[in-house]
Amino acid sequence: MNPENDELLKRVQDMVAEALQVPPGLVLPDLAFGGIPAWDSMGHMGVMMLLEERFGVPIDADGIATLTSVPAIYEHIRRTTKE
Amino acid sequence: MSYQLHIIPAVTIPDYLVGEVQSKLAYVDEGILAARIPQGGDRITLDLLVQPEEDRRLQLEDKVQRVVAVMVKGAFKPKIQVLEEHLDRPVPCRSDPNAGLLASGELFQEAPGIFTVGPLVTRLIAFFEQQFIALADSFGAAAYRFPTLIPARSLERVGYFRAFPQSLSFVTHLRSDLDAIDGFAQHAACDEHGLNTPPDSFSPIQNLLSPAVCYHLYFALADKPLPGGSLAATAVGNCFRYESVNLVSLERLWNFTMREVIFVGPRDYVLHNRELGRERMHAFFEQIGLAYRVESANDPFFIGEFKKQAAFQSAFQLKFEIRAALPFKESTLAVGSYNYHQDFFGRSLNITLPDGSPVHTGCIAFGLERMAFAFLSQFGLQPDQWPEVVRKALQ
Repeated sequence: MNPENDELLKRVQDMVAEALQVPPGLVLPDLAFGGIPAWDSMGHMGVMMLLEERFGVPIDADGIATLTSVPAIYEHIRRTTKE
Repeated sequence: MSYQLHIIPAVTIPDYLVGEVQSKLAYVDEGILAARIPQGGDRITLDLLVQPEEDRRLQLEDKVQRVVAVMVKGAFKPKIQVLEEHLDRPVPCRSDPNAGLLASGELFQEAPGIFTVGPLVTRLIAFFEQQFIALADSFGAAAYRFPTLIPARSLERVGYFRAFPQSLSFVTHLRSDLDAIDGFAQHAACDEHGLNTPPDSFSPIQNLLSPAVCYHLYFALADKPLPGGSLAATAVGNCFRYESVNLVSLERLWNFTMREVIFVGPRDYVLHNRELGRERMHAFFEQIGLAYRVESANDPFFIGEFKKQAAFQSAFQLKFEIRAALPFKESTLAVGSYNYHQDFFGRSLNITLPDGSPVHTGCIAFGLERMAFAFLSQFGLQPDQWPEVVRKALQ
């Protein structure tokens, strides 16, 4: 992650917090699936659905299995947006 | 005599969801006898008990559209992974065993989804049981006996009510009240709807009929560290899943028997043993010449939970079904499954490893009646036509 993308990181953290229905302060930049109780299987699918909706990033089965942390989601959006 | 209602879904149902939506439509209304969705997913046909009045037809259409919308909009396409492909294995029989089983008294239907099986099918089931017990023994699995009833509070704790409300079977009894018991003894009778007893004669529901075997083990281990850090266990039990009009012969029973081999411990321990179990069962299925496939699958979550839970199971390859060929209908039937629950039960029930982290769990499950039915569908009802290994074992 670099400074110019700090805003994107913040948006990812906010999106994850909204999907998991937890205070934004709980979603740290390195948070991953299972890191807090709310990020369980159902919480994860909530994150995937909101990720699709907010960032327009199509998610498939491989994405669900790999986009399991804030850094992974951040990198995926960055890559997809560049393409 | 039934009436057909045709509905055009507001959104087209993708092929990968046709079976799932179709099975859920059985729960939409008690007047539905059957639901069909042809491939293409742009048409739904309901067979109804009676022709509905206009307002009732609109009500039905609305419910069907709700089911479709909730299940289809935003659905993730599952990733199907095939681990074993032996469906093209030649088998000697292509006829439906049901008529022969019923005629010979080997199968007797007491009520929809409730069957008694005769001596030959019972011996065949015992043969499969021996193989599954041998699999359990190969892991040194400790044998358990679990009850048929399961407390509502326990199922609530693992979110079962939200995930599978449609299949629950409730248990009650008469209230400890002299008038209620006397009234029942003198007036209880069955009409076309069942027992005519007033609902307030019954106690609140505290228990259900158990829908699965392995849950009992997890409840027994709850709220403490796992002794020894890992555990292999096995048990056979009656399981109950109500499937409405989907109940069909031995293929889909309300009351069926399941043998499970259960693993509790660290992630790698569970995943390694699940895979080892699959390899060992592969050798057995090959020995008897069963035509089958092992592929990724999802549990039959109810409408509201389906989209998320099924996609999660599929993405993380948590469930693989052993689908045996049913040649008479050019279809397959799930006779068993290899399951991995990650740390869901460890977290939900506070079962911990020595380092304090939640345990992971998994199980290998076999439906005994389905196993026998698939075998009979492939090899027929005459034991002299059966594979030698089965014949010898039954002598």
